[in-house]
Amino acid sequence: MEQKKSKGPLVIKTLIFGALSGALYYLLFSNVDWVTTTYTMGGWHTVYPVGTALVFSFVHGTFASNFLSLLGIEPKGGH
Amino acid sequence: MKRLFIALAIILVCCFTASAVLAGGGGPPKNLIKGFFLKVNPDHTAVFKMDVTGVERTLKLPEDMKAEDIPMNRKVLVTLKTEGHEITDEVKHVSIMFIDIPASKVVALLIVGLIGGLLSGFIGSGGAFVLTPSMMSLGVPGAVAVASNMCHKFPKAMVGAYKRWKYGQADVKLGLVMAISAIIGVQIGIQIQKYILDHWGNAGSNLYVSLMFVIVLVVVGGYVLYDAYKLQKGGKETETTKIALALQKINIPPMIHFKQAGITISLWFTLPVGVATGMLAATIAVGGFIGVPGLIYVIGASAVVASATELVIAFVMGMWGSIQWGLSGLIDIRLTVLILAASLFGVQLGALGTTYVKDYMIKVVMGAVMLIVSVSRGAKIPEYLAQLGLRSPLSPETAALYDAISFWALVAALAAAGIIISVAMIRGMLQARAEGL
Repeated sequence: MEQKKSKGPLVIKTLIFGALSGALYYLLFSNVDWVTTTYTMGGWHTVYPVGTALVFSFVHGTFASNFLSLLGIEPKGGH
Repeated sequence: MKRLFIALAIILVCCFTASAVLAGGGGPPKNLIKGFFLKVNPDHTAVFKMDVTGVERTLKLPEDMKAEDIPMNRKVLVTLKTEGHEITDEVKHVSIMFIDIPASKVVALLIVGLIGGLLSGFIGSGGAFVLTPSMMSLGVPGAVAVASNMCHKFPKAMVGAYKRWKYGQADVKLGLVMAISAIIGVQIGIQIQKYILDHWGNAGSNLYVSLMFVIVLVVVGGYVLYDAYKLQKGGKETETTKIALALQKINIPPMIHFKQAGITISLWFTLPVGVATGMLAATIAVGGFIGVPGLIYVIGASAVVASATELVIAFVMGMWGSIQWGLSGLIDIRLTVLILAASLFGVQLGALGTTYVKDYMIKVVMGAVMLIVSVSRGAKIPEYLAQLGLRSPLSPETAALYDAISFWALVAALAAAGIIISVAMIRGMLQARAEGL
């Protein structure tokens, strides 16, 4: 059996991305009036919602991935 | 390869932004305007300030609309009445654009997002069919629900596609070929819709959409479920269909080799599947329900590869659609990120779940969901038939009952999928653990 890897770096990564994700959500919801106005102006402003969705999915998605690994939920064969 | 994936994503974003800007938008109906009501006049008209341009217009209010029904100083979406192709100045419907989101609605969005994501990661599509009506039942205007859902769909699909590509399941090349042909299909689908709308009006269009929905879902879903039952009973591994094998043997250039799927097939056979996916996406908003079975039974991919590849298609098409809706400024980003909060967990769970189950389990979930969802649309048909005068009008109680059946069938589909996937995944994980994998 292969020796189990230390979970230390994973914990740190999870915490960093978790904090980043939390900060993004805080930033968006604490400026909700500006956000909802600017994001719905149409035309080239479409970059705002599309870009935000991409950034959130990268940061929050990485957090979710690390968090699941931390819980021991991994794909079969540990890809 | 990881860099290639990111580079492809960036190139696609640039291409689609450019094409969407050049095309000058699309997506929402043209009789939808957004802005603020400034005052209601005694002659039953109201002064409306258009968003962005700031132009003030006087709109006629319908007789049954009272002054108190008009929300002042809140951003609203106004649907104007149309006469033929002409858009009038008379208000048909007013809805508040940004709903208040109390904790209960946040919880509802998170739950639906989580299970929708799980389904999407597992079968490659789904989630959208229940998210849009769920958002609408929370009070979100239809156009905003579609737009915000679309904007959540593409990053979720991107994360799912990336995960499943890492597991060696997604065929990016096949996904891109399918996605491009699907975009052509969407344009054809929109033209058909316009033709029906012009000739038979809104009720005719609704009836057409519902009939297509029910026929496609019952026929294809029934076959997928029957195939899964046969595989489970026979205990056999999935076999490539005879049609797919025959098509793969026909050599019409350009022949394309799809490495991950392990298929070499002429482009002329992948195109119709892609176009059909797009047409269905434009008609009933769930292109994946034809895309995945098409990839399995016509192209010859396994259910695992087909559902993973569908996520690549969903990403490209979702991004294209989001840019279209964003150009009209209809995306409520609060809803998008709230659903993403849970669906990004769900999609990754669903994706890794596929590594623990046999190929036919994907077919079981897909077939079951398609059949239950078809009930939801089927329950809407009597109402549309009545609107067209093809049957007697429904009593308010009967109409409410059909509406309830329609909504709860969607919830049932989502719940059934969530349960089947979770049970199959947990069983697979326990078995793998017992075998020391």
